Amino acid sequence: MTRLSLGKHGKAMEFLQPTTLAEAIEAKAAHPGAVPIAGGTDVMVEINFDMRRPGALLDLTRVPELTCWEQASGDGVVRLGAGVTYARLIAELGGLLPGLAMAARTVGSPQIRNRGTIGGNLGAASPAGDCHPVLLAAGAAVQAASVRGTRLIPVAEFFLAPKRNALHSDELITSVLVPRARGPQQFAKIGTRNAMVIAVCAFALELRPARVGSGDEGSVGTGIGSAGPTPLRAPAAEEFLAGVLADAGLWESAGPLPDPVLRRFAELAAAAARPIDDVRGTAAYRRHALAVLARRTLAWAWDSYRAGRGASRCG
Amino acid sequence: MSILGTRVLRTEDPRFLTAGGVYTADVALPGACHVQFVRSAVAHARIRAVDVSAALQAPGVIAAFTGADLGGLPLPSPVSRRISAEMAQPLLARDVVRYVGEPLAVVVTDAAYQGEDAADLVDVDHQMLPAVIDPEQAAAGASGLLFPGAGSNIAATFGDAAGLRPDLFDGCDVVVSRTIVNQRVAPAPMEARAAAATWDPGGRLTAWIPNQGAQDTRAALAAMLGIDPAQVRVITPDVGGAFGAKFGADPEHALVCWVARRLGRPARWAETRAENLVAMTHGRAQRQTVTIGGSRDGTVAAYRLEILQDAGAYPRFGAVLPAATILMAPGPYAFGRVEAVARSVVTNTTPVGAYRGAGRPEATAAVERAIDLFAAEIVMDPAEVRRKNLLPRFTEPHTTAFGAVYDSGDYPAALAKVLDAAGYSGLRDEQARRRAAGGAVQLGIGLSCYVEITGPGVEAGGPSENATVEIHPDGSATILTGTSPHGQGHATVWAMLASEELGIPLGEITMKWGDTDLVPEGGGTGGSRSLQQGGAAVQQAARELVSLARQRAARQLEASPADLVFDAGRSAFAVAGDPDISVPLTALAASERLAVRTVFRAPGPTFPFGAHLAVVEVDTETGKAVLRRVVTVDDAGTVINPTLAEGQRHGGIAQGAAQAFLEEFSYDADGNPLTTTFADYAFVSATEMPSFELADMATPTRYNPLGAKGIGEAATIGATPAVQNAIVDALAHLGVRHVDMPASPQRIWEALQAASVAGRAQQPQT
Repeated sequence: MTRLSLGKHGKAMEFLQPTTLAEAIEAKAAHPGAVPIAGGTDVMVEINFDMRRPGALLDLTRVPELTCWEQASGDGVVRLGAGVTYARLIAELGGLLPGLAMAARTVGSPQIRNRGTIGGNLGAASPAGDCHPVLLAAGAAVQAASVRGTRLIPVAEFFLAPKRNALHSDELITSVLVPRARGPQQFAKIGTRNAMVIAVCAFALELRPARVGSGDEGSVGTGIGSAGPTPLRAPAAEEFLAGVLADAGLWESAGPLPDPVLRRFAELAAAAARPIDDVRGTAAYRRHALAVLARRTLAWAWDSYRAGRGASRCG
Repeated sequence: MSILGTRVLRTEDPRFLTAGGVYTADVALPGACHVQFVRSAVAHARIRAVDVSAALQAPGVIAAFTGADLGGLPLPSPVSRRISAEMAQPLLARDVVRYVGEPLAVVVTDAAYQGEDAADLVDVDHQMLPAVIDPEQAAAGASGLLFPGAGSNIAATFGDAAGLRPDLFDGCDVVVSRTIVNQRVAPAPMEARAAAATWDPGGRLTAWIPNQGAQDTRAALAAMLGIDPAQVRVITPDVGGAFGAKFGADPEHALVCWVARRLGRPARWAETRAENLVAMTHGRAQRQTVTIGGSRDGTVAAYRLEILQDAGAYPRFGAVLPAATILMAPGPYAFGRVEAVARSVVTNTTPVGAYRGAGRPEATAAVERAIDLFAAEIVMDPAEVRRKNLLPRFTEPHTTAFGAVYDSGDYPAALAKVLDAAGYSGLRDEQARRRAAGGAVQLGIGLSCYVEITGPGVEAGGPSENATVEIHPDGSATILTGTSPHGQGHATVWAMLASEELGIPLGEITMKWGDTDLVPEGGGTGGSRSLQQGGAAVQQAARELVSLARQRAARQLEASPADLVFDAGRSAFAVAGDPDISVPLTALAASERLAVRTVFRAPGPTFPFGAHLAVVEVDTETGKAVLRRVVTVDDAGTVINPTLAEGQRHGGIAQGAAQAFLEEFSYDADGNPLTTTFADYAFVSATEMPSFELADMATPTRYNPLGAKGIGEAATIGATPAVQNAIVDALAHLGVRHVDMPASPQRIWEALQAASVAGRAQQPQT
């Protein structure tokens, strides 16, 4: 492992550069205050603005284990290395994880998408992180590793407060386990301009259709971004929609969703938000916009479900 | 064939695109120390003490200074005689800080990063004072005075507010009045501010500063340093954009020079983006009350504009910009009666300066919104209302009620052309279809007609500019100009103008500018003046040079000057009828220095005009507006290089449109800036812009031989109200009459909410 001491005059910053995952985990144990850095799209901004001065940076870009992704056999889960960039989510995972690819397309600029990683997005734990709503909707889990072993943290339990996550000081994010899409996924966000901006609010939706004969009655996943102290789910909206779809036999019939269902889903999604007023938007606007995004993403997702069913019937 | 009017590619670009420019931060200055400014973190406070002792102990710190160390320096004199000397900004705050970002100390270090750290160690003991942020409250003075010695927060007034006619709107069928906001924006040039300075043993200063006119910068530096301008040499490196905010010099520039003198060592400074956003002057920042009245046939009888200008904490150029807004208040319209008055007030915010258009965009925004408010009230197509009220075509200068002398114009033709180019009636049909269908995404069509003033100048005898053209024995030529390009492409166009007269290829012509030892006089670049005065001077100098050369050639050839013909193809004089007897300019230059310096004087400013049409789609559910089309006519007289003129129009449209729906620099109630990075300040990017549709129209001016008017700011002026009007128009059928800028998704949603509530309230109870 390379170690560099940067800075001068007693304000040294250690720069730890492990080349294997084992080294990285050991380094984190030895330097629990070290801030992991991958693309640097969050960490370097904070350092440049002198919002934080970590005693050590732990550079993870030379750890090959972190940059891979694989489709674990059988269980339909995709394991994404923490170092997979937004650009690769778009280029390589649009088929398996379309919602994540959609969210990645809305991140920053091409330069940011080439540098920024899913692990970094999670680690920063910003309420506005673009991947978070999708991971919440998908029911993903964060794999954390330390010298003490590994553990899985459900994404819904990962975000504790603005910029605070559930990692222990000796832990690193090694991968994210995301169930592969088995139904339509959608992601939408509103910002003050099209790119290079922090979202005013964002919403992600996943439909998991019922499986005939399996006893699986289908389910719904949601995720809300930029409208609360952490990324949030909207459990009441999920239960309401899953109930309607099952009770009315809509999974099977693939009939149109009645407008009151769309509106009620939107209301429940907006009610789950805990927005504040800030320079980017008022709480009232955020709640309203979330309702619009929830209704639209549901309409789009249901349209694509119906189209898929139609296609299979024709085929 | 003439090279003028052709699409010559910018000769500047190969260097910018390959080797890169040499900006002030790139200028080599061995041994230079770095100046770091310690800026106020609070908007308004009495300074009890500034303690630099801890900073002095920090690594790399050479020195630290506070306002108390600057005792020998004069206070800058006010920007105008209207302004109280009490409101002068000391180079470093002395007893009171008045905005977040105001310099209050400097730390000087070996390396730039050391200064950033050491600045944090400067301890400022504050006694907080109430922040005055809202200009209305500032004007009332109830929440406190920034300068108690001045007795008021009102820095200047324009026009006679007490003399406004109570009967101005008598006889009008319809009168509409509304207060609208022309919000504060940040110039945000690609290159932020910088300076590098060194003094020679004789006590003469050389300062490298990115600026818009080295001569003006020299005068400003000399005044702030209390020295003779002859003791100052300003050199202008490449400049990465200015937009009006790099004219003259700021306190920081003078302080870098002062530090270099005090320490006997070169000094330099280059600010960060975060520093730039709070400490470079801002632009616009007017609150306007428009009142418009007329008859239901669409004729406007009277218009009144009342301006409240937020000048920021210290009156700079922005404090006097309302004068330009008032001058252009009626725009291109033949209103029967017009009144305009203004007050400039100081607030605890960043000082306001010039910003692309500087006072004229504010005038256009006000009158174009007023026209649309009036059109909505009488339920008439806004294009028709404009058509009915535009001044008819004129070829002799037209003097307005405010004393502006419009040189030439055909405003109805510009409007007709833009409507035709955009397919106006088809757009209205599409809008009607969408309204009938009732979908979430509605279409809006916005218009603006404008006329603006360019190249005003303040010189006795009319606006002027100088140029020198010299031909060298090797066949090359040098142009010296008093203009100051910072992206405009003068090197290309000035060479085209000289080449046209002299027959010297573009590649052999070098343009020099921005070094006050080389070009001691000049008006710089701003107010869209450069081509019509600086370019005209180059043409005039080249023509005078040919005359001079003709005299000398006649002597050499022992012929009468009248018998010689100048063959630009060969750059040579020949005897008429005997082309073999000739003498080239190079030979003349070899025998005696061949150079002419001349001053071009214009009879007055010119008034470019045009019409813009914007098409937006507004999502009435999220409130998001998307700009779909911008079609413009920007008539700036004769165009010398269409590619460069179009570049100015493109940039202008983007910058103007950005004000309509994206950009705003904002503060909280305590005066803390809220938009201090580009993540929060929604600086426009290419993805928000459609491809622009530019229609051509050229009405030459007689005020210079080129026939050229200014094009640098025109499209900014036209675009803002066109886009804002389009956004309001998309929502008109839902009862919305106005949305303040920037029309963000939230603002549009709020306007729809308010209209919906108002609409329900108006419905009869059943």
